[in-house]
Amino acid sequence: MAESSQSKSGGKKRPRSESEGDPDADADAASLQSIQLENDLNFTDTAIALQMMKAQFPKLDKVVVRPFILRSQLYSSVKDRTQVDRDLESLKKEAVVRVFKLNTGKDDHAIMFMDDYLAQMENAVKRYDAKDKQLSDVFDWFKQYVIKSKTDVSISHPELCSLLSNGGDVTEKHVTLLINAGLLTCQLIDQNLYWFVIPNIGSILKGLSQGRKELLSLINRTKYKEMVLANLEKKRLRLSPLDIRFHIRDLIGSGLLKTVQSPIGLLIRLSRD
Amino acid sequence: MWTWKALKQREDGLLRPSAFRRGVVSSRASSLQLSNAKEFISLHRGAINSLEIDSTEGEGRYLLSAASDGTVAVFDTHRPTSSSTSSCASIAQHHPLFHLPRAHKFAISRALWYPVDTGLFITASFDHYVKLWDTNSTQVVLDYKLPAKVYGIAMSSIATSHSLIATATADVQVRLCDLASGAFAHTLSGHRDGVMSLEWSSSTEFVLITGGCDGAIRFWDIRRPGTFLLLDQSLSQLGTRPPLLPTPTPSNNESTSLPASSKSSSSTPILPAQKRRSHKKIQLKPPTQSSHPGMASSQNRATAHYGAVNGLRATADGFYLLSSGSDSRLRLWDIESGRNTLVNYEAMSIQTSKPIQLAVTPDSSLVFVPCLASLKAYDLWSGTTINTYRGHYESVNCCFFNAQDQELYTGSNDRQILVWSPSIPAATQIEEADSKGGITSIDQDNWSD
Repeated sequence: MAESSQSKSGGKKRPRSESEGDPDADADAASLQSIQLENDLNFTDTAIALQMMKAQFPKLDKVVVRPFILRSQLYSSVKDRTQVDRDLESLKKEAVVRVFKLNTGKDDHAIMFMDDYLAQMENAVKRYDAKDKQLSDVFDWFKQYVIKSKTDVSISHPELCSLLSNGGDVTEKHVTLLINAGLLTCQLIDQNLYWFVIPNIGSILKGLSQGRKELLSLINRTKYKEMVLANLEKKRLRLSPLDIRFHIRDLIGSGLLKTVQSPIGLLIRLSRD
Repeated sequence: MWTWKALKQREDGLLRPSAFRRGVVSSRASSLQLSNAKEFISLHRGAINSLEIDSTEGEGRYLLSAASDGTVAVFDTHRPTSSSTSSCASIAQHHPLFHLPRAHKFAISRALWYPVDTGLFITASFDHYVKLWDTNSTQVVLDYKLPAKVYGIAMSSIATSHSLIATATADVQVRLCDLASGAFAHTLSGHRDGVMSLEWSSSTEFVLITGGCDGAIRFWDIRRPGTFLLLDQSLSQLGTRPPLLPTPTPSNNESTSLPASSKSSSSTPILPAQKRRSHKKIQLKPPTQSSHPGMASSQNRATAHYGAVNGLRATADGFYLLSSGSDSRLRLWDIESGRNTLVNYEAMSIQTSKPIQLAVTPDSSLVFVPCLASLKAYDLWSGTTINTYRGHYESVNCCFFNAQDQELYTGSNDRQILVWSPSIPAATQIEEADSKGGITSIDQDNWSD
């Protein structure tokens, strides 16, 4: 009930303090939480926000991608950013979520639940048929040794080899296979370091950066550089497969847009600085 | 008003004088506004890159400013040189005490007072020179030629056994210049790209902190070769001083370290966090033929920021370090444990090309960060924006907080030095101007004769 009302009335951008007060999300979150977090019975705001945003992830028709959440979206829906960072850090350490650094713009991170990521990885591996069947053991080694123990966003070459060698003999070809399947990417500044990536996400990232630009230019073209949220939500973005709520949350969280209360309702304004 | 009630309490003995003073200072520091009683007439014809007030005991009075056109100027912040009178307010104008038009050939990136007194000051410029000047005669006493353009210099204000100037250049090595002998003392190598910012520790005179264009922040003990601590943004602690996060399980650790030790020594710096203690032992081994002791940790690729580190500031108590990077993040590090405290300073955008100067209040409550054309004040511990100071027309490069008077001085690309002072209620000002018509200064109140 609350979910449907929020999508109608532009209440997507609720006042921030309410982010934990949504009864439906609580019910969903409770059932999901009991499966995922073993001992944790307290609901942190961050965890609830993550569950809510995962549920609202738009359905994409062309590409099959499991829901992910951008860090800036989390900042826009939970008030205290330091608390978000700390909660995210402890969720990362408990291996409930995984954080990935994206290459769209500065300091973008994507958060994905662990089981979603593992499912995404399975799909990617299935689609990528390795020519040499011996080398495809590396995917199991990767899942078992590297993902479980290394919770950072990047990994260095020696450490990757040492973790993979717990499964068997590792050669350069194994690492090449991982890169070709889309699970790792070389860093530009340093060839010995790799980023973890979400496989098959490239087209969505392109849509993300283009959608951001389109939304900003949409608001920029108005006379006073602001728009009522209810009207903004009804628009559709041409260039991005993700829906407009996703982009609005992301831009508010990264500080490019700000919300202003007005007698009409909530206004979205381009922040100047 | 807070102050009147607190005065009464102080009188009655309910509030200690030191607590009263702290309260007044912090309320003044958080209510800064563009000053309508004081201004600096800047004769610089280039962007202002550095501002510094001398740190002599008890009286921080002279403001040293350096600009991109190679000029240096010194202002007296206490005594105005003239005043412009207008109908209802008079602004005290401070002209420079002296202005050196051709101090350097190219832009000056930093100018520092000699920490002991104002008899000497040091300037560093993009023309590869660091020069030591005598203030009274405004002549160069010593100069040092460096191999690349100098981004920053620092001298330790608590040093009693050495007088070294640490220089950060576009070259990968940090050079220490000795004032007493006029030559270079030693070089610290370990960064993989130029060094943009540096700072001496405020608690010990032998520790230097440098931030490089490669995003790494290194701690050097100058008595020994090599870095003893490298800040890694992925090593974090929850809260500002809690115990460390539980380390990964011991079985996992052993399995990772065993294959690592069988490989070459290049893998030794990649040990997990709690093995950092063993770093020191590795570095004290006699240097092998192919690697220099400081180079062992140059293979540690941990970064503190995803871009260049362009501003460093340690808090006055020496426990925490603030670093700003060109990835537009400001991070607070706990120096003793070397971890990221994960305090998130809300959205800011930091210019990427130049080093910037951050400022922290001495009671470690507020941090001032130049963000493009405005300056933002954040609460140090929670990261919330307290205030945004908009007054400059172009990007702000440097700021300095004068703790004596709780004033903030900012310099920017628009060649102006702006003064931000605690706001006085407007009623007081109009009354004073009516009755006197002379110069009103900030520390006069309704009862002054």
